Order: sequence, then structure tokens, then C-alpha cells
Amino acid sequence: MSPVYPPGLTPAVFARALAAFERIVGAEAVFAAPEDRDTYADKFAIDDSRHRALAGLAPTSAAQVQAIVRIANEFRIPLWPISRGKNLGYGYAAPELAGSVVVDLSRMKGIEIDVENGVATLEPGVGFYDLYDYLQKRKIPLWLSVPGNSWGSVIGNALDRGIGYTPYGENTSKLCGLEVVLPDGDLVRTGMGAATGAPTWGLYRYGFGPAWDQMFVQSNFGIVTKANIWLMTEPEQVRGMDVEMEAIEDLAPLIDTIGALRREGVLQQSPTIGNWLRAANILSTRSDWVRDGAPLTDDVITAIRKKFGLGWWGVSLRLYGRSAVTDATYPILEQAMRAITPLSIKPTLWRRGDPIAPGQGGWMGVPMTFPMQNANWFGGRGGHLGFSPIMPQSGRLALEQFRRNLSRYHEYGFDPQMSFAFGERNLINVNAVLLNKDDPAFMKKVDPFMRAMIVDAKAHGYVEYRAHLDYMDAIASTYDFNDHALLRLNERVKNALDPKGILAPGKSGIWPKAYAPERGK
Amino acid sequence: MRAAPILTLALAAAPAPAQTQQPMLAGKAVFGEKCGMCHRADGMGTGLLARRVDPKVAELEKRADLTTDYVRVAVRTGIGNMPWLSRGEVSDRQLDAIASYLAKDGK
Repeated sequence: MSPVYPPGLTPAVFARALAAFERIVGAEAVFAAPEDRDTYADKFAIDDSRHRALAGLAPTSAAQVQAIVRIANEFRIPLWPISRGKNLGYGYAAPELAGSVVVDLSRMKGIEIDVENGVATLEPGVGFYDLYDYLQKRKIPLWLSVPGNSWGSVIGNALDRGIGYTPYGENTSKLCGLEVVLPDGDLVRTGMGAATGAPTWGLYRYGFGPAWDQMFVQSNFGIVTKANIWLMTEPEQVRGMDVEMEAIEDLAPLIDTIGALRREGVLQQSPTIGNWLRAANILSTRSDWVRDGAPLTDDVITAIRKKFGLGWWGVSLRLYGRSAVTDATYPILEQAMRAITPLSIKPTLWRRGDPIAPGQGGWMGVPMTFPMQNANWFGGRGGHLGFSPIMPQSGRLALEQFRRNLSRYHEYGFDPQMSFAFGERNLINVNAVLLNKDDPAFMKKVDPFMRAMIVDAKAHGYVEYRAHLDYMDAIASTYDFNDHALLRLNERVKNALDPKGILAPGKSGIWPKAYAPERGK
Repeated sequence: MRAAPILTLALAAAPAPAQTQQPMLAGKAVFGEKCGMCHRADGMGTGLLARRVDPKVAELEKRADLTTDYVRVAVRTGIGNMPWLSRGEVSDRQLDAIASYLAKDGK
């Protein structure tokens, strides 16, 4: 595929910029061959020929990132920073603006651990597996909060507000102090890191005056080159249960019961309620159940559920901490769950020193990749797109949302993988829209489906917390209070910090003046 | 089920191996760091390959039929549901070590 240049950039100017980049990172860390461009494309996209990178650069230090940013300003090269680029379902390593140069931070793998305080200071190339191996090798009793796809970066995940399943599951809320290269090449440390030599950078979030950590989350205001993130202490015991609920309607009492237990503090983890397909599409393919294109009827769903012992809904609940505390709390949890008459309750127990059973690691900080097997639901080339509106923690509203979504899935002939993830006071209605990239007719329906889902949710006040590249502008437009005042604020900040608009133009719908005509394309 | 094209890669598309004077990296260690999360026990790649090959050899390290060219192409162009990997993440030198290890060169 021919290279795609961003607006205003000529091949001659780009060649000069590449030579300048090579002087900073070395020729072996500049990737501009056609094969290189392909490796930054989004394999799970509806159309992976969109959002094409022009090249990649792999710096190994914050100083190199600063120099790259200054060169980008000189030659007006749009940059797209990635930590490890494993944001499958939301864009992988691909840039929003085609022709951007990917700043690939995957070689920045610094790890420092403050064992006593449970703080990891990480560079963005550190993956969940890297950190897990580091802790295991040194027998450091700290646990990660891992997402369902743990292939990616710890910091990258927190910077995109990814979630895990332990009491530390809201990963972005565990960030405590960032080191950031600004769009002009300046280097800033947030929070206590702004005080040279302060031993409290990873211990107190706010510093003095305005606190900026979240300013650099899901934004294009800087490149995070280092961050502190809190890790939980390995508990003495993890006790809990896997719960299956029989009927669609059981979603409402399940959410209301778990929500109340969480607000009371009985349950401190971040559980996710998933439907039968969320488990079945990992364990099997569609053709195990029906011929090509045939609908998944109620009888088929019943057969799938019977085969794998699934309810319509399932959730894993876990209590963490001292044995005496979790043993005392468990009967309270059990009583509350039995009151809503589940199909089954399967107790689980792990004590410090026990091996962690396959499939159980997600609740105990062990990275995993097997949930991505859902990309093979159609048996060939697949993938998934995330659609994840934020909702109140209400069983009634969640059930209504589910029914609306389900009717859209049926209208378009798609299979509904749906879940509801608990935040502190919210739910995230995570839809993994399963793709069949071997079927062009199928793929043509995906974009209209996604846009219908966005409109449906917005009609009830629900908008997404995170979006694939194809939908960043659409989602930004749903934040529309006072004629999109938030977007106007974001873009005022953007233009002040980044007047040439070189850093991740279009990220989260934030377009600098220099590339404003690209909005919505 | 559609068969994934696991045996039909166009080897002509393989990028040239890196020309380097540096010693070969330890393939097993590099494989563990770059590939193990999906291609060892309980990984996505192992789970999906178990649907297509003898499950006893679903873990790549147990395969006897992999060639260096095949491994290089699979990594750089992706295969089945596996995305492609950039040279930023896996350098050519690291990929050489992985490919030689999986192809069991010299063994």
C-alpha cells in the first residue's frame, strides 16, 4: 500500500524529518518501510486500510521523546504515541489521523518498585506480563490489576481508563504522578514529582495547586514517559463465588444487590456481569452450534448454556484480605446472593501459597490473554469493537439498556456479547461487537450498527467512556452540554499547548486548528 | 468453520533478516518475553491453535514443523487472529532469535 501523507506534508520534507529522527534514535529505531507501516495498522478494525501510519519511531528515553517532539514541530509532523499499542477493540497501534508517525514507546521498559509502599514506577513499554514476571522473580508480594487482554501496557491501560477485576480495578484511579513530555518538548512531572527530590511522588496525588494527572489521560496534551501506579498487597486469602443467573430479567436484581454490597463496602472488587456469549465465544466457535448465518435461537442458546453450565448472566465475586475478615464476610455475601435465587453458586477459595488455577488469574492479578479467543467466534479472521456507554448503577435501567441493545443486535443479525462492569458508582455497559472479516456483507453492517448504538444510548443520556478511532468524533459530539463547551475547552487547551497541532491530532475528538478540517473524516 | 490460512503464507513476502554482527540472542528467553503470553499454556494463541492442530502441539515450542521464514512472516504480517508485530516491539535481531528457536535450528 502506498504511503499516506498527512495534510500539508510532502515526501521531500518527510525525508528530511526522517533523517533528523534517525540522528536522535538511530536508523535501527526508525521504521518507514511499507512492511513497517502495515505493522501499525489496526487488525481488529472494520477497515484496516484506514488510520494508516506513515512510519514508526522507537525511542528509549524521555530525552529522545523530547527531541522527537521538537523535530516534529520543526517539520510539522503529526505524531501518534503508543505505549505498547495493544488497544484491541479501540484501535491497536494505529493513529487517528492517517499519515501520523507512531512514537512507539514499547522499548521503554524501566521498572522501579517501592515494595514498602506498594508503588510501581513504570515506563510505558512495560506490559502486564513484564511487571508480573518482575514481581514473581523477586518474590515481591504485590498484585496487579489486569484487564481481560493483558498483552498491553500497564501505564497505557491506565491512561485509556482500562479496568481490572480486583479491588484496584479502576486502573486510572491508581495513577499517582506522571512524567510527561509536552508538545513543545518541555518535560514536566505532576503531583509531588514537581518538587525535586521529594520522596512522595508516588504517594500523594495532588501536589500543590491544580493537579494535572487526568489532563494527560485519553488526551493529546503530552506524551507520558513515566508514571507511578499503586499495586495492592497480596492478600492472605481470596474467598468468593462464581454466580450464574437463569433468566434475562435476573440482571436487574443482580445489579442492585451487588451495587448495594459495594456501596456498603462488603464487596470491594470491581466485578463484571457477563452474558452467556461472553464465556461461550472463548470456549467455542459459532459453527459448533449453527450453520453459517443461521440465528442463535433460544434453543441454541439453551444448548450452549447447558454445555458450559452457564446462566443467562454470570458474575465472579471475590473478597480479599485477612482470612478472619473474609471468612466473616462471606456468609453476608452468600445470604445476599441466595436471596435473589441464582441458578448456581460455586464457592471459590485461595489461600496465600496456593497455586492459582487456570482461568482464575484475573481475580488474582495474573495476566491473561485467553479471553481474546472471542476474536475467533466466526472461525476465521475476526476481531471485536468496543461500545461502552457509562450508566447509572441501576438494575432497572441496565435491563432496559440490555433490551434496547438486544433488539439492535437482532435487527442487524449480530450476536450479543454484553456485559456490565461495576465502577465506583457507575456501570459500564461493555459491548464487544464480534467481527467476521471473512464476510464483506457482514462487515458492511458494522458501522451503521455502531452508529445506531451510539444514537440509542445518547437518547437516554448514556455516552461512552472510551472509543475506537472510527468513533472518537462521534462520541466527543455526544458530550454536548452548552454547545459542546467541554470540547471547546479541550481544544482551547490543545491549541495553547500545541499550536502546530503535532501531537495526536484527533485523539478523543480533540482536533487542533492545524488539522481541524480532518474532523469527522 | 473456516480454516485459518496457517499453512499458506506467501513466504516471498518475508522481510529480509537483519544483517548483524551481534551474537544471537537467547531464543527461549526472547520467545518467553515476546510470545509466551499467547503461545504458552492458557494463552490465546495456544487456545486457538488447539482448534486447528493436534492439541498436544498447540504450544509453538512443541511444534516440529516450523521454519524460520514461516515464523518471521507470521510475526510481521499476522496470522489468523494474531495481529502483526512491529519492529519497535520485536526487533529484527530478536525475531531472528525467536525464529531460530522455534525452528529448532542446529538441534
